[in-house]
Amino acid sequence: MFQEKNQVLWNENISGSYYKIGLTCNKGYSDAHPGQFITLRFGDDIARLLRRPFSIHRLITKDDCIKGIELLYKVVGTCTQKLSSYKKGNIIDLLGPLGNGFVIPDNVRRIFIVAGGIGVAPMFFLASSIQKTGIDLSECQVFIGGRSKHDILCKDDFLSMGITADITTDDGSAGKKGLITVPLESEIKKNRPDIIYACGPPAMLNAVAQIAEKYATPCQISIETIMACGMGACLGCAVESKTDPDKYLHVCKNGPVFDSGLLRI
Amino acid sequence: MKHIDLQTDIGKIKLKNPVITASGTFGYGREFEELIDLNRLGAIIVKGLSLKPAKGNPPPRIVETSCGMLNAIGLENIGIEAFIKQKLPFLEQLSTPTLVNIYGKSVEEYADLAARIDEVEGIAGIEINISCPNVKTGGIAFGVDPESAAEVVRAVRTRTTKPLMVKLSPNVTDITEIARSAEDAGADSLSLINTITGMAIDIETRHPKLANITGGLSGPAIKPVALRMVWQVAQTVKIPVIGIGGIMKAEDALEFLIAGAVAVQVGTANFVNPCSTIEITEGIEAFLAERKISSVRDIIGTLEV
Repeated sequence: MFQEKNQVLWNENISGSYYKIGLTCNKGYSDAHPGQFITLRFGDDIARLLRRPFSIHRLITKDDCIKGIELLYKVVGTCTQKLSSYKKGNIIDLLGPLGNGFVIPDNVRRIFIVAGGIGVAPMFFLASSIQKTGIDLSECQVFIGGRSKHDILCKDDFLSMGITADITTDDGSAGKKGLITVPLESEIKKNRPDIIYACGPPAMLNAVAQIAEKYATPCQISIETIMACGMGACLGCAVESKTDPDKYLHVCKNGPVFDSGLLRI
Repeated sequence: MKHIDLQTDIGKIKLKNPVITASGTFGYGREFEELIDLNRLGAIIVKGLSLKPAKGNPPPRIVETSCGMLNAIGLENIGIEAFIKQKLPFLEQLSTPTLVNIYGKSVEEYADLAARIDEVEGIAGIEINISCPNVKTGGIAFGVDPESAAEVVRAVRTRTTKPLMVKLSPNVTDITEIARSAEDAGADSLSLINTITGMAIDIETRHPKLANITGGLSGPAIKPVALRMVWQVAQTVKIPVIGIGGIMKAEDALEFLIAGAVAVQVGTANFVNPCSTIEITEGIEAFLAERKISSVRDIIGTLEV
């Protein structure tokens, strides 16, 4: 875990309200896991007091050396609006890497990745890590869902890695019209995956967790909650545990990635 | 730069500088180990502890508001025994004193906690929490009535010789009344303020933004209220007063010291900038050096009206 003032390497609008920002980072980020997150503080403004969490989208490397991290974000409020105005060379307060990421068990071969909306952000990093383990990516599939075609991100990134992509949108403007869980379930029926990884809105995660349970397939989900510190001090990010009624789990410390069976979403 | 003496005393507890971490914002200390040198803190006050582990309130527990945040954590903690076994050994190695914040559902629970802590060498003092607004029984139930507050302090006093700091609630008509009552009952120092009860509503769903409906407001939004109360209490009691409330930077801490606080607690700022405490200490030192004030004690209670 490092807290440093880092430089903006780039900050580009990729479509609609979605941006990718590159930041320099500590060398220690070379050990970061997909699913881990960072928090940003936007200057000394106290009107919006709290830091904001973002999952790591990509490690920026050159000759196997870490040069920075990239975040994929959507402008949704005051802070992300402000973030979108940062220019190359600006300085930003970065704290991370935080939390527990996705775990890729040794024996998995066939992997399904499910990403809803901005939930795709950590999934590209995950796919890159899967690729590094030597798993045959042509055995893997990604399911990307969004409200409309503007909310379908990173499709080409996955395709270029050799991962098949299934697209669904609420309005049918890209891929099939409907919920992401429809193609997910039909593909599971055809050929059972060894593991499912998912990130997206709570309703989607809940549906994916139920499908995983139905087909007795291991499933890891990355969830988001409001949090103040991001490092286990404030205990603000409590989530209900399925296995221990006497204790809450904390997203920043126990998660943000959990086995789907552990959580009451 | 000439050496600046930052030492201050809270009764029997000697601090190397006046910057303390506020309970509930610094975990059990070790959470911050990778980011700051814990030996540079004036003191560490750990998360509020109860006799038995406590689950805390259901989520959502926090919400950001203008210049602050509301929390309703509900004093989730691992319990005194787990703290002593699992967390204290690490804290004991530090040169920074550890104070334990305690809360009970009854006067007896407070007293039993104090008795247990009294047996433990590595704990420098006790902060009695009679002011948490987020638990229904205990906490604030004792902090809004002078007689109940005195009863808790007296009960704790009879069971321990450790220095007692009593943390006061701002959710009262006259804080000086409670302050005097706690002093008379045997408190060695007073810390104030705890959070101010507040709420926030989602206008689309018409639900409160916190599952607990109400929560405690903290952060820069409460600083003027805190400062006023610290100033009032410092004039009322003879025991040391520790200022808390929205301290983000050295200038904020200095305001509290000038108002009469012998030390300050930094809370919400730890979430926003984990290095806040260190930066505030350095800022106080620089401020004093620039003005050729050799000791932080020379600025305490120097408000000119």
